[in-house]
Amino acid sequence: MAQIFDRSSNALARMSLVLTGILVIALGVTLNELQRSPWVTRQGQRPDQPVPFSHEHHVQGLGLQCQYCHTSVEKSSYAGIPPTKTCMNCHAQVWTNADLLEPVRHSWATGESIPWVKVHDLPDFVYFNHSVHVNKGIGCASCHGRVDQMPLMYEQNTLQMEWCLNCHRNPGKNLRPTSQIYNMAWKAPSEDHPVWCSVTDAKVGVPTAQSVNCLTKDPGKGGATVATLEMPTAPGASAAGATTGSSPAGGMVMPASLTYTKFTSQKALGDFLIDQYHIRPPKQLSSCETCHR
Amino acid sequence: MKPTASEYTGWDETTPKTEAGTGAMETGNEQGLTLAEVRRTLAGVKGKKYWRSIDELASTPEFEAAVLKEFPDAAQEWVDPVSRRGFLKLMGASMAMAGLAGCTKQPDEPIYPYIKAPEDLILGKSMYFATAYPFASGSVPLLVKSDAFRPIKVDGNPDHSYNRGASDPYTQGTLLDLYDPDRSQKTTYRGDNREWTAFMEAWRSKLIAAKANGGDGLVLLSTTVTSPTLARQWKEAQAIYPKAKLVQYDPVNRDAVRTVLGAKDVQYSLTGADVILSLDADFLSGSSFPGFHRLTREYAERRKLAGVAKDATMNRMYAVESTTTTTGLKAEHRLALKPTEIPAFTAALAVALGVQTTAPSYAWTDAQATYLKALAADLKANAGKSVVIAGEQQHPSVLSLALAINEVLGNTGKTVFFTDAVNPMPTVQMAELKALVDDLWSGKADWLVMLNANPVYDAPADLNFKEAMRRAKVTVHLGKHADETGSITDWQIPASHYLESWSDARCYDGTVSVVQPLIDPLYESHTAHEIVQAMLEEPTKSAYDAVRETWQPVLSKSGDFEMNWRKTLHAGWIDGSAYEKAATATVAKVDAPAPAAKEMIEVQFRPDPTIYDGRFANVGWLQELPKPVTSLSWDNAALMSEGTMERAGLAEEDIVEITVNGRKVKAPVLVVPGQPENTITAYLGYGREMAGRVGSGAGYNAGLVRTADAMAVATGASLKKMDGRWGFAVTKSHYQDHRSKFFGGEGTGNNSLEADEALTRGIIREATLAEYKANPGFANEGETHPKVERELTLFPNWDYSTGNAWGMSIDLNSCTGCNACIVSCYAENNIAVVGKQQVRIGRNMQWLRIDAYFEGDLSAPKAHFQPMACQHCENAPCEQVCPVGATVHTPEGLNTMVYNRCVGTRYCSNNCPYKVRRFNFLLYSDYETESLKLMRNPDVTVRSRGVMEKCSYCVQRIQEAKITADKENRPVRDGEIVTACEQACPASAITFGNLNDKGSRVRALHENERSYAVLADQNTRPRTLYLAAVTNPNPALEPVLEEHSPTAG
Repeated sequence: MAQIFDRSSNALARMSLVLTGILVIALGVTLNELQRSPWVTRQGQRPDQPVPFSHEHHVQGLGLQCQYCHTSVEKSSYAGIPPTKTCMNCHAQVWTNADLLEPVRHSWATGESIPWVKVHDLPDFVYFNHSVHVNKGIGCASCHGRVDQMPLMYEQNTLQMEWCLNCHRNPGKNLRPTSQIYNMAWKAPSEDHPVWCSVTDAKVGVPTAQSVNCLTKDPGKGGATVATLEMPTAPGASAAGATTGSSPAGGMVMPASLTYTKFTSQKALGDFLIDQYHIRPPKQLSSCETCHR
Repeated sequence: MKPTASEYTGWDETTPKTEAGTGAMETGNEQGLTLAEVRRTLAGVKGKKYWRSIDELASTPEFEAAVLKEFPDAAQEWVDPVSRRGFLKLMGASMAMAGLAGCTKQPDEPIYPYIKAPEDLILGKSMYFATAYPFASGSVPLLVKSDAFRPIKVDGNPDHSYNRGASDPYTQGTLLDLYDPDRSQKTTYRGDNREWTAFMEAWRSKLIAAKANGGDGLVLLSTTVTSPTLARQWKEAQAIYPKAKLVQYDPVNRDAVRTVLGAKDVQYSLTGADVILSLDADFLSGSSFPGFHRLTREYAERRKLAGVAKDATMNRMYAVESTTTTTGLKAEHRLALKPTEIPAFTAALAVALGVQTTAPSYAWTDAQATYLKALAADLKANAGKSVVIAGEQQHPSVLSLALAINEVLGNTGKTVFFTDAVNPMPTVQMAELKALVDDLWSGKADWLVMLNANPVYDAPADLNFKEAMRRAKVTVHLGKHADETGSITDWQIPASHYLESWSDARCYDGTVSVVQPLIDPLYESHTAHEIVQAMLEEPTKSAYDAVRETWQPVLSKSGDFEMNWRKTLHAGWIDGSAYEKAATATVAKVDAPAPAAKEMIEVQFRPDPTIYDGRFANVGWLQELPKPVTSLSWDNAALMSEGTMERAGLAEEDIVEITVNGRKVKAPVLVVPGQPENTITAYLGYGREMAGRVGSGAGYNAGLVRTADAMAVATGASLKKMDGRWGFAVTKSHYQDHRSKFFGGEGTGNNSLEADEALTRGIIREATLAEYKANPGFANEGETHPKVERELTLFPNWDYSTGNAWGMSIDLNSCTGCNACIVSCYAENNIAVVGKQQVRIGRNMQWLRIDAYFEGDLSAPKAHFQPMACQHCENAPCEQVCPVGATVHTPEGLNTMVYNRCVGTRYCSNNCPYKVRRFNFLLYSDYETESLKLMRNPDVTVRSRGVMEKCSYCVQRIQEAKITADKENRPVRDGEIVTACEQACPASAITFGNLNDKGSRVRALHENERSYAVLADQNTRPRTLYLAAVTNPNPALEPVLEEHSPTAG
């Protein structure tokens, strides 16, 4: 009986071994890529909404502040989706007959909710809290991107755990002064665009925003004349302001009386704000119970 | 009298006891254990010993076999009907798909915003509303957590002086009762759906017709009326319909108090009581005893031992009772008497104290006489600083005599007070009910309207209410469920839950709370207020308006009514509405009856510790909650002593037919340590037929042998063994550790599981007050009390010196084992109910359990209650074995579970020395039932199948407090984080906080000399420490009483 496999089969066998290996690896790589792909994460996708609401028009065009609609972002875990009433505040007056706004008028007339599609959808086992982020110096745009440039809302980032941890392990790189949270165009400080920050005392027990003051204009060259007012938190602070600065009446302290530090890199600013805002160390921020319960 | 194999009617000392006893022994393994064996095993053992179950005490072969297994039978096995081959096939398929599962896209999720957002609502932030749970023994003031207007957690009102935030198992369970999917949802007339207006039309036309004859034939039957507004409405209705009747009936009522005190109530204050005597008054186990929350708090406050050890003082409790309750087990000296002996004992005590001169003559045993003497001497020595509390379910003479004793001792006005009755219409209910049934039989009742009552199930068996009810022309049932009564009445009207409707109620001290709804009625339900209001001039006036009308005069006294009304709703009570406490009252003198003969079997009826009179039968949390003392869940049983069981030729789980005056009921047998001989205790509330999917079919109906003249205790019962066995779901035998003589123990007969460890490894550490004063550091001394050794570890120590370090302290001296914490944990943490079969195989999911460690003799035990949940070990054994990192340590010292990482190997549970981890063997969480979705705590993941879970120290509350504190740039304050168990505890036995905070309460407690770690020799370094127990026994009664059981002599 002749041999079934001749010598050339050896090469075939070796080839198939290698191929199998490659296939397995390829499968792994594919799956890995797939589950990070926008198909799964919905990154960049614009789902069909009942009303093609344009953040670009309302934010950039009309200048609405984020909290006009997302009212509870500083107070609660949810930022809040505006009730129909919020739309009708204006659209009872303007574009009252626009076809695009028919679902809004329908909702107003019938009392049925506008069925929006969730764009930023975290898995159910993740507990995210908006309020602590915006109170601690993470701007809207850090996660949601330039919403003011989105005619239709989409997800800028993957919202995968990897992405969360990326920041939780090094929060300094995204921190900004709390006065700049809703500023869509905020840019990290650089040599060309430095940031000056000052600190008042009595940091414990008052909200974060009250103890740190930041300016993008050099306070030495008139930046301090910006109308930044501050409530004195302790009689001592008020007295100090009165002696060093040309304090007007009412106990208000002019920023000029404060010592400003200049920051020319995000790292320096981040480290400063981590200190001032009492940002928890990365070990705590990336601990499981921070997001999972 | 000689016991026969077929029928058993009791015995006394003269009965030859060998036959039944040895007979039982011969059956050997089947029988399980015998008293003789138990005694033999115990004979040679000296000193302290602990035990968890009676099998353990007797070292039965079954028990030793169980010891060899770490987990109870089948808890680890695959019980689904899937073959191994089928399983592998499935596994193969799922392995192939495993990678893909991660790629599955989540479906689109909609957002439905409000049209107009409600004022003040911040989605994601819970709101709290004050209300009260109206209960017959006095309302429980509440502060209910509401998430987006759904009530999700019921807790005591922390500002209310009565309960200061404490609650109890029933109150906690009412939340699930609200969302019970089996609630009646539509008004029906003979089974057909009708509108409420159709009923109102019928009711109104009847009323108009009946007006001429003064409402003759109109009968309302209600559970105890708790609402002053309802009482006012009824009073007004009576003016229009003078012949109409309102009868109140609860199967567990306060007739004894009414007989003695009429329209007055008695209040106790334990703050100034050095000596407490409970005469069958189970005031520590739940709100079925009036004033439970306050009494437990005051009792525990006197046991905190806060100051310097050598000046320590604490109270001392004596308990004279029948069936073993937590009150009895907490008492320093407990005397077990048959129920009918208790009035006679009280009378004898009254004689000893010079209150009266005669008492029924009775042959007390030496031990009983010694007890009486010592007790009388102690009470006399503490005159004015003692209190005698009488049980509500006892013969009225006990209360009458107890009050007389208090008077003579000078306690009245110091620890005992009299007030007006908490309930607005106090009546002797049994007499009224009997009259009502007579009226029904004689055809005098036209319309019978039942308000929240279920008399077909719970009226005394001899009244035959079901048949009598048919004599009424029209029957109406307003009830939350179409229950035994509602399913056969003409009209069934869904009743609103108290969280859905307006009402009012008074708590123990008389303070009025407005019952404020938290949610619109889930179904088309209505209230008793509306039905009674229909009899008045403004028939459609709402309950809200009616309640406001009632309190308008009171709230307008000082200032604007609207303002005061809002204040009342905000605070939860009406200021200054507490009753005046008087030092005197007219006390009816009732003589104690002579006890029944010793050989007579007595059956004692008691409200169930978890489902009360059956009204909570369909509340899964309360059904699954192990009852205190017996650890029985999902059932009631004929509770009896070891001796009675043997003499009747019975074994545990046997089915026995109890015959009382010709009425019979079949019941399973369960032994209770400390139960007196010839006494059967039957908890009410079981054997429901129409309770719903949870409660129907559980247990047996003790009401079948309960008659109108013997509501509390029936004498002259006989027992007969029936065929068949009953499967109990008793949880205490589950958590066994293997260290019996098989594992190097000494084989002295008491070396076993946790009980052995309780002694040799110091799981329970205790001392008497004298010992404690002499040696305050007793809890951490001696070789059986190992200490934590921080440096002794292979793993590098984590540095916890900065930031928060969460820890808990549990005071064994305060814990009374009432179970409120467990039910609170159910609600807070979305814990699943698994059902009786799953509990039987050890799969109950409670994150927190209360281990009862018994000590001493079988018939006169003491016990320690130890709440046991995850200890959050710094050196956690579970973490070291998890292959996927699903259980990990946080920098703040929490041992966390990451559910989405867990793959269900269960290694962690196997390696946990405390056995506090719970595994979802099946899909226990109900993802389908709509009404239950509303109930869930949105801050806690609902766990699915195949996931391990355990106590998280309420991490969601920690996170919330941390975020709030972080936003305000300050550290978390002590007391800002309150765990669910801590919040519910009426004894303040649990304290949670930051160990790194020098001023925190928990740190002070951890530094207390009495603090110790359980299983410290394992070097797990738990964050939960226990405060060792200190008892205050009477030297005159030391050593611990010889049991009075005749078998001892």
